[in-house]
Amino acid sequence: MKRGDIWLIAIVLITLGITSWMMFQQRAASDSYDGVKYARITVDRNHYRTVRLDEEQTIEIRTNHGYNLLQVKDGGVRMIEGDCRDDLCVLMGFKDRIGDTIVCLPNRVLVEIIGEHGEEADVDAVVS
Amino acid sequence: MSYPEPQDRVSDRYQAGIGSRGYYDLRRVVIIAIFAAITIVLGLIEAMIPLQLAVPGAKLGLGNIMVLTCLYFLRARDALTLIALKTVLTALILGTFSSFLFSIAGSLLSFLFMYGLLRIGSGRFSMIGISLVGGVTHNIGQLGAATIVLGTAKIFYYLPFLMAAGIVTGIFVGLAARYLIQRLERIPAFEELRYS
Repeated sequence: MKRGDIWLIAIVLITLGITSWMMFQQRAASDSYDGVKYARITVDRNHYRTVRLDEEQTIEIRTNHGYNLLQVKDGGVRMIEGDCRDDLCVLMGFKDRIGDTIVCLPNRVLVEIIGEHGEEADVDAVVS
Repeated sequence: MSYPEPQDRVSDRYQAGIGSRGYYDLRRVVIIAIFAAITIVLGLIEAMIPLQLAVPGAKLGLGNIMVLTCLYFLRARDALTLIALKTVLTALILGTFSSFLFSIAGSLLSFLFMYGLLRIGSGRFSMIGISLVGGVTHNIGQLGAATIVLGTAKIFYYLPFLMAAGIVTGIFVGLAARYLIQRLERIPAFEELRYS
């Protein structure tokens, strides 16, 4: 360890602190929200579907990029299957806070949790 | 810090009859090839370690041991060659070609930072500090590439987790690189390369 290292560690820790603080702010904001939450599914930047989190179901995301199976349960979402090789999306686990995301990069799938007035309220009102 | 002229460091044994550039270039190529082979084996070992279970997307970054060592002994372009070989061959062997782009983005960003700290910082930073920054900037590069592909910066919410993992693995990798460099420096061939 050298003197310069202290600076490097300080910069990294400050960045970690700021990003963690932003994350906790986001979490706190989500926890105080009591409206309906939605999961917005995007594939390769294109809107795929938006579903309410209080309607339990499983959604097949089948596109020419690949296949994923998303489970909506207990007011949150969880990726339970994917044909991507790394299965990171499955490892990301259960998500139910606004701002949370599940990503499957190989299949270009992005699932984000949004609130009633979340940006672009492009909710499919009727979801089968 | 100024280094002695190369010829001062080169022992007679190595200089005898082989003063040409070709000698050094061949030796560089061989060392890069050996380093690339080690890097790929490290990548395969790393794929068996289930760090992903704790922090999805996090990696040990064992290959960075060789990149750091390469940066220390050889030139920047040699380290870039190593990174290119590592990225392409690992993608081919592990078959995760879709992650190729993210891997490249992370590697290049971390290379830029590590090279900058090593050369411009000229001795102010230890391998541990450099490797730590390399680990963290690798994550940032990957998230940056993912942001471009997915069209949303929301995934940067993952950064705290990835950063925390990157700090721990960065320190570990830095220690390993320091140990390896100390050992390799005792080999005359490596010591000469450092100053040539």
